[in-house]
Formats: sequence, C-alpha cells, structure tokens
Amino acid sequence: MKQILHKAQGVVCLTVAGAYPERFLNALAAQNILFWGAEPVDSTTLRLKIHARDRKKTEAVAARLLCEVTGEQREGLPFFLARVRRRYALLIGLFFAAVAVLFFSQFILTVEVEGNETVPTAVILAELRRQGVRPGAFGPALDEGAVAQKALLALEDLAWMAINLHGTQAQVLVRERFPKPPLEDSRIPADVVAEATGIILHFETWSGKPLFEEGDTVVAGDVLISGWVPVKVPEYSQITDAGGRAVRSEGRIEARTWRTLTASLPLETMVKNPTGREKKFYALDLLGKRVNFYKNTGITFAEYDKIIEVHPLTLPGGRTLPLRMAVETVRETELLSAPIDKEGAAKMLEERLRRRLAILIGEGEVLKSEVSVVEENGLLTARLLAECREEIGKTVEWPSEQ
Amino acid sequence: MEGKRRKEGLLEKAANGLDLPADGVAGLPHLSLIGDRELRIENHRGILAYGTEEIHVGGGKMVIRVRGEGLQLRVMNAAELLITGQILAVELM
Repeated sequence: MKQILHKAQGVVCLTVAGAYPERFLNALAAQNILFWGAEPVDSTTLRLKIHARDRKKTEAVAARLLCEVTGEQREGLPFFLARVRRRYALLIGLFFAAVAVLFFSQFILTVEVEGNETVPTAVILAELRRQGVRPGAFGPALDEGAVAQKALLALEDLAWMAINLHGTQAQVLVRERFPKPPLEDSRIPADVVAEATGIILHFETWSGKPLFEEGDTVVAGDVLISGWVPVKVPEYSQITDAGGRAVRSEGRIEARTWRTLTASLPLETMVKNPTGREKKFYALDLLGKRVNFYKNTGITFAEYDKIIEVHPLTLPGGRTLPLRMAVETVRETELLSAPIDKEGAAKMLEERLRRRLAILIGEGEVLKSEVSVVEENGLLTARLLAECREEIGKTVEWPSEQ
Repeated sequence: MEGKRRKEGLLEKAANGLDLPADGVAGLPHLSLIGDRELRIENHRGILAYGTEEIHVGGGKMVIRVRGEGLQLRVMNAAELLITGQILAVELM
C-alpha cells in the first residue's frame, strides 16, 4: 500500500556520493525530508529514494554538505502524466472515449422480461416496442411508469408490470392475471343432459328432478335431471296438478360408455428431398436494424427450404447484446412421392386417438381399449374402441322463451 | 550489553524520582526491537555511521551500535528512525 502511495506521488531514486554520507541522512531527517530504502553502496556512496517534490531540497542539502547527487531514476504517476501531457491526440481520444461511454451507456441495449409463465415473452416485447421500450431507445427520455400502465392496458393477461432501467439494460417484471372462474347465473333454469350413450353407474342429484337411476341405459341427449320440479299436491286436496317451479339442475352422473374414434393417413405422401444445392446469405442485426451482406437473394430454385440461423453476441455470464449475425441457408428440394412408414404411422395414429379420447372423457378413466389398423382405399385407418367410465352430465340452459 | 556505567543526568534522575517517562522528560532515546528484524529508535540524535553490517546512532549521552547483516535504514526523520535487516546485537556505548 505504501509503495502505491509513493508511486502516486512520484519517486526519485538518487545515488549520493560524499565523504560523510551519514551527515547527509541526518540533514535530510532534520529538514523533514522523507526518504526510504537507503542502502550503502560503499563507504562513501549511498542509494536512497525520495518523493519527487523533495528533489530540489535534497539537492540543496547535498550541495551544502559537499555531496554529489548522481544517477537519478524517476518513476511514478507524475512522470507518467508528464510524458502523456504532450500526446494531444491520446488525451483528446481519452476524453471522447469517456464522454462516449457516459453518453452511450444511457441507451437501452437489452430488454429482459421476467415473471411471465403463460404469456409469451415475444408478445410482451412487441407491446413494449410499440410503447418505445426497445434496444436503441434513450433511457432518460422514457417514463417507465406511464409505459408500464399503457402496456398493461394492451396486455389483458397481465395484472402488474414494472420497468427498471439499469444502465443499458431494461428489466421488465410482470405478474400474470389469475383467470376468472366461469360464473353461472343460478336464476336461469337448466336441465342436465347426457353427453354420451351409456349405462348409469352413479347418479347424484343436487338440484332438479332426476329422471333416471343407477343401472338405466341412457342415450346421448336424454334429459337426466329435469329443471322442472313439480310441486307436491297436498294430501286430501282436490287439486291434481299444483304446477311446479323451474330450477337450475345440478348433479353428477357417471356412466359406462363406449367410444369409437377413427383417424386416417394416406399410404403415400409427398416428401421434400434435398437435391444437394444450397446458397447462404449473411446479414447483421444491430439494435433492430438489418444490414444485408448481399444485394439480392437471386434464388433460382423452384422448390426450396429456407433455414435461418441467428447467432447473438453473448457476454460471459449469459447476457445477450442487440448485435446478431443472421445466416439464411436456402436449400433446393424436390417433391417426391414416397410410401409412409406404416408402423410409425400406425403408432402416431394410435397416440392421436388416445389423446383425443382423453380430452373427451376428461377426468374419467378408460376401462378397456382396443386399436385396430386397416388399409383401405389408399388410406391407413386406425380405429379405437374404448370402454370408459366418465361423467356424462352436461348442463343445458332452457331457451329464454321457455 | 556490556560497557562502563553511564552517569545519570539531572533530568533523568528527576524523571525516575517522579515516575515520569524518561524518554519524554529527559529526552532519552526510546528503542523498540521487534524480533530480530526491526529496530525503531525514537529521540535519536542522528546517524553516526552507516553500513550494511553496523549502524551507529547517536542517542544523546550514549551511542547505540546496531550489528547485524543486511542492515538497512528503512525510514528516518528528525524524531525517529527504523532499521531493518538481520539484527544480531544492539550495544549501548
């Protein structure tokens, strides 16, 4: 640490020769001239270091004591600055570099979005770009609060947004809105209707008049729980029909159902076959502006695939800068008819059918299933037969005129 | 440290009698030896001889002879000095 402080003030290394070098040291001490690293070279010569500012005083002391000062060696910041002082171009360049760093660090280079899970980042970035938050924008000119408010109005799936500017990075924090549960108007009368044909395994009525019971067979469209609940006629009354009241039926009805699903694929399909010819085009993206390193693409291929690869410049630590190299590869292809891989296609069809079945039965379960695959009329057809246990009740509101 | 016995001065006697610090009252040198590598001398009267194996320092009524190897006068001002190196002996003469 002391060495650093000495160098900052400038150090001069002197060689002093005289009859009594000890007197020279005493004289320096008496004059409060700080010295260090004193080492005798021989009986009449000393080497020592002093601060640059004490050089003249030291030379005066040496002259008074008839000592000769030779071999001056200078080091430290003041001497470095003196050498640099005459290099005007360097000084001007340093000044402009400092100004450039201070000025250009006010521009946004990257926009990072955090906190979104279902809302795509690209959607948020697109809206922010419309509001003026984008790479190349001048940070101090942005009103982060106002921009966040306007962006929230446009992005309905977000509940909160905050924009923080940290130098060249704009950090956008978001929180998504919880979806509103669907509200049902309990004043509107409704029936519970069978969604599929099956045998009722479990019948639970919460409101309304049940029209079936466990073990009954129902067809898709049958009213399972009616929204019209007749009023019970009092005993010993002469009134035969006391009418009823309309309610919103609710209940849970589970049934055993049989689902048949089919899906097909053609046995022959057209595939793209690369011919081997390709062309590459290069471009640079800087702050959203594109610079093409080609005049025009001049693609002469009749059929081709275009593959675009983007390589962003990334700093150590993972931060990407708004400078990207885009490489477009245009590969010529030709369409050829080829038979499909039947085994792979059959597997894919089966997966597709099972996924569709899972969506249809919801929280129900598949008790038994069987898949058959046939080739007919140039098509590969897969048929899924499944026995399921599922909830089949569906609420259907009465038409308003009823 | 051997040598003929030095006579106490008046200020020194007064300092001892009144239990006052002799280096402050009588201006006696104050030596601080840290291990065998550093010797700090306060209230000195200047360097009398300087070499890598022997350094003589004036202490008013005494001379402090420091013997060793690779001795160096690290820092010195009017009030104190610091000698570093391999110190083998400190003699008061």
